[in-house]
Amino acid sequence: MDQKKRILIAGIILVVILGIVLGVDFLQRQQATKEAPADMPPGSIPIFVDGGFVASFVPDDLSQLPAASFVDAEEGKTQDGWLLRDVLLLYLGEDNLQDETQVTVSSSSREKSRSLSWAEIDQQENMVMFDLSGRGTLKLVSTLPGFDIRDSWIQDVDKIEITSP
Amino acid sequence: MKQRYFSTFQLILLALFSALVIVAKIALRTPLQLSGHSGIFWMAIIIVGARVVPKLGASSIIGVTSGILASFLGLGDFGALNTFLSYAMVGVGSDLMLWLLRSDTENLVVAIIVGIFGHLGKFLTKWLFGVITGAPIGFVALGLLQAFLSYVIFGALGGLLGWLTLKALKRAGFFAYMAEKR
Repeated sequence: MDQKKRILIAGIILVVILGIVLGVDFLQRQQATKEAPADMPPGSIPIFVDGGFVASFVPDDLSQLPAASFVDAEEGKTQDGWLLRDVLLLYLGEDNLQDETQVTVSSSSREKSRSLSWAEIDQQENMVMFDLSGRGTLKLVSTLPGFDIRDSWIQDVDKIEITSP
Repeated sequence: MKQRYFSTFQLILLALFSALVIVAKIALRTPLQLSGHSGIFWMAIIIVGARVVPKLGASSIIGVTSGILASFLGLGDFGALNTFLSYAMVGVGSDLMLWLLRSDTENLVVAIIVGIFGHLGKFLTKWLFGVITGAPIGFVALGLLQAFLSYVIFGALGGLLGWLTLKALKRAGFFAYMAEKR
């Protein structure tokens, strides 16, 4: 077999891989659409207040949120996305959030969660924000002491819960 | 006595290339913040490594060794196993393409294809982990396609950089020197 044919085979393999990845993603989205309630588009993050569903953080609303970024001290990588503060203010408004309000961001697939007070989230210098991961899911990151290393960050976020004081 | 597939000298060289992959990951920064941008550096290193030790499996050894180093250094966001497999698959993906394309990394197109497939090994590992662990689907609908294309582009750029480095090494007489040493 000549080299041209081998290069062509490599090209075909690349297209097949792309097809498989997009195909599986499409099927997962179809499945998620079937399972999710009508007001929760697939991939969106549901927001619960005191156990009740109030809204869903959807990609369409990203244009309304100012972008935020910081360089993490651990790997010197820029984390960029949207502040959790801005997300909550967009969906809940300031009246529903007091300094002692607890906000829990969790990931069921990674079995991780983090509870923060609204006072911590509201301080912009803490940079409590969502960064878009390489595979398109949201990752909660921050510069808060104790919550500023990769191990503690919440990858693949799929739920936000707010508990009033 | 049965001759070993890799000589001690070659294994030492491969270990050095593995260390270089980690150094590149930690120390080299680009202003680009697209996913997979670091592939520019490590695919170049793997392509050079595969030519300096021109044996099938050389890239896999670089990948596996750098994976072990990266896991112990706590690199990556998704745990040690994910990090190890991501790095290892960069090497395995490169080796598969080197096998298909007869290790002809002095051909620019081949170097670019090896760069793309090696880098895609990392993307596919991360993606598969997400699928297996039941990670939520992407927040942004076309995020996955964007990430895929980003890995392809940076892998290709890594292949190009590796090819340029090989050309420079050849011009400097590095491979003639290595042949004499052998």
